[in-house]
Formats: sequence, structure tokens, C-alpha cells
Amino acid sequence: MSEPAPAIEAAHLSKRYGDALAVDDLSFRIGRGEVVGFLGPNGAGKTTTMRMLTGYLPPSDGSARIVGYDVFEQPLPARRAIGYLPESPPLYPEMSVEAYVAHVAKLKDVPRGARRAAVDHAIRRCGLVEVRRRVIADLSKGFRQRVGLAQAIVHDPPVLILDEPTVGLDPIQIREIRALIAELAAGHGDAGHTVLLSTHILNEVEAICQRVILMSEGRKVVDEALSELVSGGRSLEEVFARATSRDDAASIAPAPAGASEGPGAEGRA
Amino acid sequence: MRHVGAIASRELRSFFVSPVAYVVLTMWSVLAGTFFLSSLIGFQEDLIRAQQFQALDALEQMNLNDGLILPFYGSMWIVLLFALPAITMGLFASEKANGTEELLLTSPVTIWEIVLGKFLAGVGFVSLMMAIVAFYPGLLFVYGDPEWGKTLSGLLGLFLVSVTYVSVGGFASALTRNQLVAFVLSLVLLLVIGMMLPFIVELGVARDALGSSSALADVMRYIGTGEHFEQLLRGLVDTRDLAYFAIVTATFLWLTKTALESVRWR
Repeated sequence: MSEPAPAIEAAHLSKRYGDALAVDDLSFRIGRGEVVGFLGPNGAGKTTTMRMLTGYLPPSDGSARIVGYDVFEQPLPARRAIGYLPESPPLYPEMSVEAYVAHVAKLKDVPRGARRAAVDHAIRRCGLVEVRRRVIADLSKGFRQRVGLAQAIVHDPPVLILDEPTVGLDPIQIREIRALIAELAAGHGDAGHTVLLSTHILNEVEAICQRVILMSEGRKVVDEALSELVSGGRSLEEVFARATSRDDAASIAPAPAGASEGPGAEGRA
Repeated sequence: MRHVGAIASRELRSFFVSPVAYVVLTMWSVLAGTFFLSSLIGFQEDLIRAQQFQALDALEQMNLNDGLILPFYGSMWIVLLFALPAITMGLFASEKANGTEELLLTSPVTIWEIVLGKFLAGVGFVSLMMAIVAFYPGLLFVYGDPEWGKTLSGLLGLFLVSVTYVSVGGFASALTRNQLVAFVLSLVLLLVIGMMLPFIVELGVARDALGSSSALADVMRYIGTGEHFEQLLRGLVDTRDLAYFAIVTATFLWLTKTALESVRWR
């Protein structure tokens, strides 16, 4: 490993729940500063994958590395490098926004001297200044989602893993969160964060991602730069529908733009 | 281990935003007052009776420690069995229900730090309960002359029992995401450990089956809290009893850690 380790590296990840195979031999590498959209229908294994990448769930097989640290062999440095927003933001409803973010900063090893500033910074970036003293239980869903995001970025991690950050929000809130993610990805001064973001809103991907990983039934079916994917006049929606249709033939190979007339076209849902 | 303080202080603060802590503390104070009063009245009646019958031996034997403080602590121990599960039920179950377990387990925090942080929060709350209890024997020092050593060793006993029960309740809470289930489970565990085990051994039927001096009976008697607590109540601070509390607490903390880990391995 002479070159800098990739920000996120999944090697033959599998997860079995009893007999069901939720994730099946999934491998990919995400370089530093990349913004990757993680797509797939419900139940495709996105959340399970993200949970394995963050160390919440141990994989049944395979391994994951975050900036070079194995998530299970060297959990503490790996976790320090991750900012994670789970599917439902992990909030303590009885705490104030400020107290909560400060608490997370402690958990994430932000040094004592830098804590105050880190908390202020996260609160400002996520647009929470006017609610910073409010109790989380009293906040609207949009604000809660932002508190979840503030929690993920408070220790300024190089890698952000966001599980459906805009789900359940109204269009304006979606736009705001999206702008925030784009801003985080672009970085402030130094190199931007690496972002892996799951969603099923396709234009979200088009708006902020450079690359798409598409999962279906636990397997990776597409892993390509967005510009490649949508070249040749295909819309992302078409790609999505084709790749996730039952017919496997359409996808597995990183299809060049010309080979878009697969047999899966009629299988569109 | 530097996260322990953060986890413990957050937990301790969260006790006091939920009504449960206030309900428990109110009940605890009221019951402490009631039991103290009834112990006091009982002591007084014994005293009067002994005087009436001119039972000089008995009169000589009577003292505030054995006649009043000991039964008072004993009653509070029973209250503890029912009050503590209400405090410990949320320790881990609420994290699971909130989804904050995912935050803890993906933070650079070890499972031991989580377990110890929660445990210390429980110990902090229990200390408050002990301060309330201590108030009543404290009154006796103003009006009478009880023995310091016995009074304090009894209080120490009650404290150690509580600490042990916190670790048991924490374990129950780590097994489920439902606080009610955690409450019932820890109540059952506490009743078994606190009262049932020695009771079963003493039961006629069980005595025949086990033989009350058999090794199994000895083990069961040892596991029960009662005997060790009584030693401390009588003012006998023995390392063997202190070791008992340490062992049981450590065992349940370890079980808690294992339970938290096993959730991830399913």
C-alpha cells in the first residue's frame, strides 16, 4: 500500500441474515474526495452495507477499510475517520441541540480545546444557529435531520457515510440539505470530504455525485462515473430501472454507453 | 476510558428530564419516612413492653441500632428491589429504541466504556437515594446515641446491594429495546437473587431434595444477597462479603458487555 489508501474500501463484503443473503460479495473502492451515490431499490442491501462500513454490523464475510484502517481490526481509528448519519438520525430527544452536538464531539474524540469551536462550526454549517438551545424533541423533522448531519460532521471526518439524508423532508429542506452536502463535498479550503450517500432520489445523485454504485438484491450491478452512465442520452432512471430489473444480463458488466439495448428493457417496473 | 465520564454524565442528566427519576425519588423518600416512623414506633413499643414486664435483660440488650436502624435498612432493601428496575430499565433499552445505539457503536468508544459509563450513572443515582436514607439515622444522632460503626456499615451494605442491583438491572436492559420488558426482567432477576435463592434452600421440600448442607445449597445461599447484606447490617465488615458484591457486580457487567456485543453478531 504505497499509494495513499482509498477513503473507503470494501473487499468481498457479505452479510447473511439466517438464510437470506442481504449483501453478496460486494467490493468497491472509493478514492479520497469522491462523492458517490449509492443507489438501489428498497431491500437491496444499502443500509446493511453502510452499517458494515461503519462497523455497526460485522460482515459475515469479507472486510472493509476506512482510510486504510480495517473497520474490525482497528476499529477506533477507523471510526474516528467516519461521520455517519444512519437511516434515522440517532438523537437524544431530551437534549438541546448544542448539548447533543457537544456530547457527540466528546464521543468522537474532538480534543477538549477545540470542542467549543467544532460544535459552533457544525451548528453553523447545518443552519442550526437559531435552534441551538432548543430541545431536540421539539424540532421539526427537517431540523432533526440537520442535527443528525451536524452530529456526523462535528469531528470533521475525512469520510462521510450518509444513509438517505433527505428522506421524509419537504422539497425546500431537501434542497437545503443537498446544498449542504455538496458544500461539504467541495470542502472548505482543504480537500473535500469523501461522501458515500444512499438515496433513491435520482436527481439528487445527478445534482451532487460524480459516481454511482447501484445495488440490486445484495449485489453491485453498476459502478460507474455519472458522466459515463448518462452519456449517450440515457437518463439515470433508465439505467436504474434496467439494472434493477430481475434480468441480470443487462447490467453486471460496466456497460459502455452503446450497449444500452439489453434484454432487460421490457422488464422495467 | 476517557469516554466513561461523558456517557455517565449524559445518562445521569437524562434521568432527571424524565419523570421516572422524580417518581422513584418521591416514592423512595415517602417510603423511607414511613418505614422509619414504623420502625421507631415498633422500637418504642418494645421498650415500653420490656419496662412493663421488668425484663431487665431485654432492656439492657435494646439499642437504637438493632432495634430501629437495622429493621429500617431492611425495609429499604425491599423497596430497592422494586425501585431500582425503574431506574435501570432505560439504561440500554432506550439507546436501542432511540437508535442512538448506532451512534455509540460507531463512535470511537469501546463497549466497556459504554457499559461502565451507564453503570456509573446508575451508581450516581443510587448515591442520591442513599443520601435520602442516611438522613433518618442521622436524626437519631441528634436525639440519641447510636453506634457510628454499625450505622455506617449498614448504610454501606445498602449501598453495595444497590450497586450490585444496578449491574443486574443494566444487564436486563441490555437484552431488549423495550423498557417495560427490561423492568419486568430485572425485577424477576432481583427477586430471585435477592430473596428466592436462600428461601428455596430453606424450604422443606427443597431441603430434602438438595440436602440443606449440600454444595448446591451452599452455592445458592452464597449467591443470594441476603446473607451478605445481613452481615453488614450487624456491623460485620468482612472481606468475604465485600468480595461477594464485587464478584456479582463484575459478573453482570461482563454479561452486559457480552449482551451488547451479541446484538451485533446476530
